Amino acid sequence: MKRVSLFAFDFILLGATLVLMTLGILFVYSSGMSFTGMQLSNEYVKQLIWAGSGLVLMVGVIMIDYHRLRRLSLYLYGFVILLLLITPFMGREVHGARSWIGIGEFGIQPSEFAKITTVLFLASYFAGIGKGVQKLPRFLLGLAVVVLPIGLILLQPDMGTALVFIPIFIFMAFIAGARLRHILYLVVTGLLMIILAVAPLYEQWILGREATVLSMMTQFEVARYFLLAALLITLLSAWGFWGFKRRYFYWILYISSLVLFSSAGAMLVTRALREYQIMRFIVFLNPRADPQGAGWNLIQSVTAVGSGGFAGKGFLQGTQSHYQFLPQQSTDFIFSILAEEWGFLGGLLVFALFLIVLLRGVRILYIARDEYASFVGAGIVAMFFFHVVVNIGMTMGIMPITGIPLFFLSYGGSSLWTGLICIGLLLNIYFRRYGS
Amino acid sequence: MSKSRTVTLGFLVSIVLVLLIGQLFYLQVIRGWEFKRRARAVVRRELPIPAQRGDIFDRHYDFPLVVNQDSFAVDLIPGDVPEGSRAQLFERIAIALGIAVEDIENKVPPRFYHLYQPIELKGGVGFETVAYLAEHLADFPGLTWHNKPIRNYLGMDSLSHVIGYVGDINREEIQVLYNQGYSFGTVLGKSGVEKQYDLLLRGKDGTRFRTVDVREKDLQAKPEEDIPPEPGKNLVLTIDRRIQLLCEKALGERIGSVVVLAPSTGEVLAMVSYPTYDANLFFTERAAQEFTGLSLDPTFPFINRAIQSSYPPASTFKVIMTTGLVEEEVFPITREVTCTGEIFYGDRIFRCHRKVGHGALALFGGLAESCDVYFYTAGDELGIERIVYYSREFGLGSSSGIDLPGETPGFLPTPEWKQKTQAMIWLGGDTLNISIGQGYLLVTPLQMANVIATIVNEGRVFRPRVLKEVRDPQTGDLIEEIKPEVLRVSPIRKETFRTVKRAMRMVITEGTAEVVLTTDAVEVAGKTGTGEAGFEDRWHSWFAAYAPFTPEYPEEQVVVVVMVEAENEWEWWAPKAANVIFQGIFADQTYEEAVETLKPWWYIQQQQAARVAAERADRAEQEARLADEETR
Repeated sequence: MKRVSLFAFDFILLGATLVLMTLGILFVYSSGMSFTGMQLSNEYVKQLIWAGSGLVLMVGVIMIDYHRLRRLSLYLYGFVILLLLITPFMGREVHGARSWIGIGEFGIQPSEFAKITTVLFLASYFAGIGKGVQKLPRFLLGLAVVVLPIGLILLQPDMGTALVFIPIFIFMAFIAGARLRHILYLVVTGLLMIILAVAPLYEQWILGREATVLSMMTQFEVARYFLLAALLITLLSAWGFWGFKRRYFYWILYISSLVLFSSAGAMLVTRALREYQIMRFIVFLNPRADPQGAGWNLIQSVTAVGSGGFAGKGFLQGTQSHYQFLPQQSTDFIFSILAEEWGFLGGLLVFALFLIVLLRGVRILYIARDEYASFVGAGIVAMFFFHVVVNIGMTMGIMPITGIPLFFLSYGGSSLWTGLICIGLLLNIYFRRYGS
Repeated sequence: MSKSRTVTLGFLVSIVLVLLIGQLFYLQVIRGWEFKRRARAVVRRELPIPAQRGDIFDRHYDFPLVVNQDSFAVDLIPGDVPEGSRAQLFERIAIALGIAVEDIENKVPPRFYHLYQPIELKGGVGFETVAYLAEHLADFPGLTWHNKPIRNYLGMDSLSHVIGYVGDINREEIQVLYNQGYSFGTVLGKSGVEKQYDLLLRGKDGTRFRTVDVREKDLQAKPEEDIPPEPGKNLVLTIDRRIQLLCEKALGERIGSVVVLAPSTGEVLAMVSYPTYDANLFFTERAAQEFTGLSLDPTFPFINRAIQSSYPPASTFKVIMTTGLVEEEVFPITREVTCTGEIFYGDRIFRCHRKVGHGALALFGGLAESCDVYFYTAGDELGIERIVYYSREFGLGSSSGIDLPGETPGFLPTPEWKQKTQAMIWLGGDTLNISIGQGYLLVTPLQMANVIATIVNEGRVFRPRVLKEVRDPQTGDLIEEIKPEVLRVSPIRKETFRTVKRAMRMVITEGTAEVVLTTDAVEVAGKTGTGEAGFEDRWHSWFAAYAPFTPEYPEEQVVVVVMVEAENEWEWWAPKAANVIFQGIFADQTYEEAVETLKPWWYIQQQQAARVAAERADRAEQEARLADEETR
């Protein structure tokens, strides 16, 4: 890349990002407005400042050749891990979690930037091992790269942000050419773990009676023998596999260890989860279980979205939001306001813009010059995708409340900066696609 | 890097986003209306605007007997009370409203502190207090008030039984009345006209719509969307307050009742029951104590004795006996019976009220002198079946259907009844007892008034009623005029009734009531009654009569029934009271004027006694002064 052309620049991606950011500022403004038309908060001004500074950051990221970032990725990763290590002790407590560090009113969430540095470092790891990713130990080492920040973020505790690392890893491993059975193992274990963890709650809160199938999770006696049996099968098949090299032992081991890990993990999760997190799952399954408490947000958000109708109530005309029924309007539930005031058309616009961002991202990783760039792109697409699905799904009542923001729309500097840095990285990759 | 995997990724991302769009479409477009309605319901509150209760007038429609008086209820919105100043605020409110701090704390417990719904601290607060609060509003954060009019009963106390009173709806009433539009917190009539015509009087509450935020704080009110209340109708009663007052004073402080009825229409012109109560007390501070006190009063002031108490009719029943005797002709009216003061029947002696006897008497004389021996003999001849038949023809044993709640039908005994309930056959002695209105027979004063009305109208009787007209509260326009409703038409011959009337006139001209019915204002016909009540020297005193005896037109006739219970000191008061009432009605005089005109013996005695007492007091004073001077 010696010739810098304007046409080498992805204007569509940049344009979609800018429109999304503008929408964000508009609806952060709307969320701060009381029913009398009085502006109760200056969040939109702050958001403007974040956006401006974020754009500068983005330009900065574009300027640096991403190959240099690749060389720096280990140090960046290490630095953010260090920040994450001290956050649980020095962080500022907001909503029961210590995820902020900083001075005075300005603070950052290291967990947000950890996503970027992890993506950069994991990409460099995968690019370094090449075809070796198909080997299980290499694959597991890559997994360790994301498990470390996940563990540290769970200490804060911030489950929502921690969860983002899982799709990041899966997408990147997928693009890096990891074996499908390894990825599938990971996906199924995760899903099974969630199902098994929720099952006792389901029995207790929704079903209201004992279900025989679920007793292995709820009754300690049964659970003990179940786990013991799974462990035994796993050990036997492992012995059989390495001792006799028979193919079927591999699959028995595959399935039995999967069940073992997911049920053991589910038990750990059930013990580790806090009351409010359990309630979030319960109200996701049935919002009426606690309509005034944990179910409130969900009910009000779905009502706000649904009442928007086809064309919406008009900008600044939302009743659910301006009468303060909708909680955390400027951050987690920004999409609810938008959908209430601009209706299905507004929602469609947001979806279209995100689809542009995501597909342009996929296109960039497709045409990128080298593997490293592709892997970085895959990580970024995974992050954006997960945030959009979980956040918007949550406002529509089809995802549990996890408290992760919607990029470019939600109020908050860290999230906006992270988003813009990632866009910067994508543009960077696009920009240098024909390089030497 | 695999190209196909990248394409797969692109597809995955697109499909998931399209699914999300599908969910958005489902929520906003397919179920949009449902959520719109839900969002509106969340922020919209409906507040009832109480309808003004109708006023109640007497028949002249010139002066209200009941009006609504402006009054306020003071409320506290706990959520508006600043944290930390609660204790001082409660103290200030307690002083301003004259209630105890504990009362406020009981009504506003800590779990309500964050609420934005007003809690009523005190009702019946006057304008001055509210004005004071308004001036010092800064000292009373969270305090508000609303209009809660109270009923003001302006008429005399004796109207309290007819008009009744109102109160807050209770749990039992709401179960019964819920489907008629009653709800918690509504005020409804508890007795009398207030209860009977509650639906007319209450009108229809309006609705105020307001929008609230999540903390129940008012955001905006759109008066143009309000549904205005429909005020209750004004009622015009048949009661004539002049006659009512006359009757109240004529009965005086004697336990008993007076009914004045217009026989040509069934309109009740006056209905007095003593003792009475003051319904206004139920709106004061001491309402609960007053109510309990009245409930426990051994004289039962809540009972409307004119319709809710029944007594043996005693000799007044003889007018029904007379009608039967004249109609049946089994015992010719000219046939004489010799009264020796007593009669042997079976193994018992039945005595006449006059121990020395009346001598030989025919029907007219027997009724005029109220000779018991005559009616024992005639009644035995007439037989119980016919006595029961004629009693039914006069409406005994069944409700008159007056438009007041709680009327008792009295009791008419029959041989079947006695056989069934007491397993004893009806004896001839029972027939003798009922022939003079004693025994098991029980009649309310209103039923007795209807008996007289049947005679006056010669067999036709109208349903007695207290409602005359329903009028529009704003314009005063007549909405409905209640038409007389025929209750019963008796097949008894008109000629028979005319004969009975002549006999009743004789009671006044030369019979038992001759000495007390001294009024010259009108010709009265009637019948006295003195009922056994288990006392040695006191009796129930009845007087049932009508006037004028020879009317120019039927509308001028009135029936007066006075019933004074044996509980009182024996004065034979019923005919004496009726004398004053007839004088007052027909000479258009007040009670005082009527008494002054009549100068009855008891009045002269009273005056003499008063004069003697005054002289004695005078003398005592003089002596005291003399003694005083001497000591100096």
